[in-house]
Amino acid sequence: MSFKLLRITCLFLFLTQLSWAAGSGSADTHEFTLSNGIKLIVREDHRAPTVAHMVWYRAGSMDEVNGRTGVAHVLEHMMFKGTDKVKSGEFSRLVAAVGGRENAFTSRDYTAYFQQVEKSKLDEVIKLEADRMSNLNFDDAEFLKEIQVVMEERRLRTEDNPSSLLNESLTATAYMSSPYRHPVVGWMNDLQNMKASDARDWYRSWYKPNNVTVVIAGDVDAKQVLSVVEKYYGAVSAHELPARKPQLEPPQKGIKQVQVKAPADSAQLAMAWKVPRLEPGKLDDPEPYALELLTAVLDGYDNARLNRILVKQEKVVNDVNVGYDMISRGPELFLISASLAKGKTVAQAQASIRRALEELKQKGILESELKRIKVRILSEQIYKRDSIFGQAMEIGSTEMAGFSWRDINYMLDKMQTITPEQVQAVAKKYLLDEGLTIAVLDPQVRKSVASQEGK
Amino acid sequence: MNTLNKGLAVCLLAFGYLGVAHAILPIEKLDPHKGAKGYLVQTKALPMVDIEVSIDAGDRYDPVGKSGLADMTAALMNFGVRGDQGILNEAQIADEIADLGANISLSVGGERAILRIRSLSRKDLRERAVKLAAAMLSAPTYEAKIIQREKQRTITNLLEAETKPEYVLGRSFTKSVYGNYPLANSPTVKSVAAVSYADLVQFHRQFYRSDRMIVSIVGDVDRAEANQIMQALLQKIPQSGPAVEKLPEFQRSPVEPLAQRELRIPFDSQQAHIAMGMTAVTRSNPDYFPLLVGNYVLGGGGFVSRLMSEVREKRGLAYSVFSYFAPGKDTGIFQAGLQTKGDQAALALDVMSSTIAKFIADGPTPSELLAAKANLVNGYPLRIDNNRKLLDNVSSIAWNDLPLDTMEIWTKQVEAVTLEQVTAAFQKYLAMDRMRIVVLGAQNQ
Repeated sequence: MSFKLLRITCLFLFLTQLSWAAGSGSADTHEFTLSNGIKLIVREDHRAPTVAHMVWYRAGSMDEVNGRTGVAHVLEHMMFKGTDKVKSGEFSRLVAAVGGRENAFTSRDYTAYFQQVEKSKLDEVIKLEADRMSNLNFDDAEFLKEIQVVMEERRLRTEDNPSSLLNESLTATAYMSSPYRHPVVGWMNDLQNMKASDARDWYRSWYKPNNVTVVIAGDVDAKQVLSVVEKYYGAVSAHELPARKPQLEPPQKGIKQVQVKAPADSAQLAMAWKVPRLEPGKLDDPEPYALELLTAVLDGYDNARLNRILVKQEKVVNDVNVGYDMISRGPELFLISASLAKGKTVAQAQASIRRALEELKQKGILESELKRIKVRILSEQIYKRDSIFGQAMEIGSTEMAGFSWRDINYMLDKMQTITPEQVQAVAKKYLLDEGLTIAVLDPQVRKSVASQEGK
Repeated sequence: MNTLNKGLAVCLLAFGYLGVAHAILPIEKLDPHKGAKGYLVQTKALPMVDIEVSIDAGDRYDPVGKSGLADMTAALMNFGVRGDQGILNEAQIADEIADLGANISLSVGGERAILRIRSLSRKDLRERAVKLAAAMLSAPTYEAKIIQREKQRTITNLLEAETKPEYVLGRSFTKSVYGNYPLANSPTVKSVAAVSYADLVQFHRQFYRSDRMIVSIVGDVDRAEANQIMQALLQKIPQSGPAVEKLPEFQRSPVEPLAQRELRIPFDSQQAHIAMGMTAVTRSNPDYFPLLVGNYVLGGGGFVSRLMSEVREKRGLAYSVFSYFAPGKDTGIFQAGLQTKGDQAALALDVMSSTIAKFIADGPTPSELLAAKANLVNGYPLRIDNNRKLLDNVSSIAWNDLPLDTMEIWTKQVEAVTLEQVTAAFQKYLAMDRMRIVVLGAQNQ
């Protein structure tokens, strides 16, 4: 055992050095701010002749107001429906013509658009993206068709998906006032009552250069990129943004529970605790890092605690997952979710989870457990550089949460300084019933499934 | 529509096929070892290496009544092996992988099982990862308690899957399109329950041998190191084993009246799910490129395909609609699909069918063909711009016995495709009166 520990230590030291050598990236990354407020971040990576171009608007579902949930995502769809110069659908045709891959995505914190192209095609997609930043112009007929598409998307991903329904109810129960309580895709009734003017209002309010970060990663020269970006994006003028109210979630005063009945075979259990996130300007707060490491100690690899105890030893659940993300604009949950093993009850699963957490709170974690996690984090820093797009994603999402891309390495270094005691301390401090929400999926037989072919 | 096509033609002229003539990294053939072939692409920029072992041991070899055996034979390699210093249990295997900062994964498809290692390229770390993977491939223990547990978990997952529309649709479509070929049978509660220790050992002995394996490596190793990796991986694996029975021919979907080709499954979900397709071609088929280019126009080209335009853009009927060819080494199918609100199922199926029928009959327009080729050619660098994607390419080339210069000549082959070739190929391989159709939804009750 001690031999093994020594081995881990050696590897750990090696990886720490490696991360300074290969993980940095700050020499290859350049930041500029245009006079209209657009922030441009360029990561030069010359391994292959391709480039990822991403435009991040700091407006997501958390910026929506009651009755208009889902509008951030609806507008994302409408961004492909034409500008003064480019007809509906032609944006995608033009990107396709240069061999580009494109899409867009909306989260609680932001809306982002991207194209991946061979490097000589970058100017063309910048030109297109800059055009729709200020000249979007879709007609009502396009809206009426597209809102149907969005409702189909909600049916596909939520209405017919019990895990999504459970998660939606969990979130809406855990938060009372935070806009995080609303699903990104929006409530169905809000979608049914949405008007083209709601989407246009959203666009006019938030799609301003002073609310934008452009991230370009790949085989480019930062100075050349800057001049192209200035030429196209620089023409757009800044505009005052709507006031963002803090809408801070009041402290929870006791356990909350919610049950969801939906067609499924196994019951599911989700337990979510209110926990802190990393806040800009407070990068030395150890708690968010400790919570990230706690997540990995519980669920970071095949022999991590919850999988080992609940799935393999006690066989009380079929699968278990732990989720926490310290980087976000809004409040965070520490989420443990499990689908039940055959013949086991939700009460048994919950008791097992609580026992495993209690043991960790009482006895702490092993130095070797934590080292194992830290080694993984370091090696992932090298693996992630294999993907240009992944690097652009990391920069953009970090920026949207109010941090700088320069903070990324600082955070990773900070993560390596966290001790087993600090991990134990956050478990003791935050995994308490006062801030706990429990959601249970109560499986229902689907009415029409009986006539299926043989089992 | 006309002006739009004109606009497209102008932009194609403007962008042309410029700027894609970059050097493509060569695939090196490694020294064959114990009947296995090996391939390497060296990339030195990052201190990491991706290694794949493809094993001709896919689901198609599942014995009758034991569907799921191939999957389990591979998955259980994670949970106990006989190594040089004795038995490594599942906890020790997981801890070792974690301590190395490596990833080792096993997956099984219709044709082959795949083991993948991602490791830092430093010699001692990589060697330990390779050694562990070699033990997993050659000496899994298949401990009784773990077989029991994993069977139970698989059965629980299957019962859950059977409540999901996409799974029930997929399983029914597979059964319909594969006909008498073994891939028609998906795992069931009964077939998984029937798998025994003896079955696992027998399947492993029969299929996990080096004359059924291919090794592909991409990353920061040189040729000599790659040869060592390959030898280390195969060291304990027997070169051959018991004879494997020849699989039945994969027979072309027959012409049949609609009632015999179409299956309607009552299912109480908000959306109806629809699948349509038939047998098609293998990857090495000379018509692969006309079909690839043609399918880009029909339903493969993201937001700009005909299916997307007819079903989503013009009518708002679905979020996702697609078609693709899935060409393998020995089999291949064509499939199209969508999901739509239950009461729109008939309309959506109608639009999808007539769009496909029209395309088979008339082929693409000249401007559509131009647009498809422009996208595929200009976008080719995006298919090979990191180690993971390079490994996917090398793996496909090796498995499908394609020429080693496949990546170099790929864009030329796309450019050479003519309108007549696309139309002829679609008419040769696809036919509406052969299409298998599955519609699952509440309207079927």
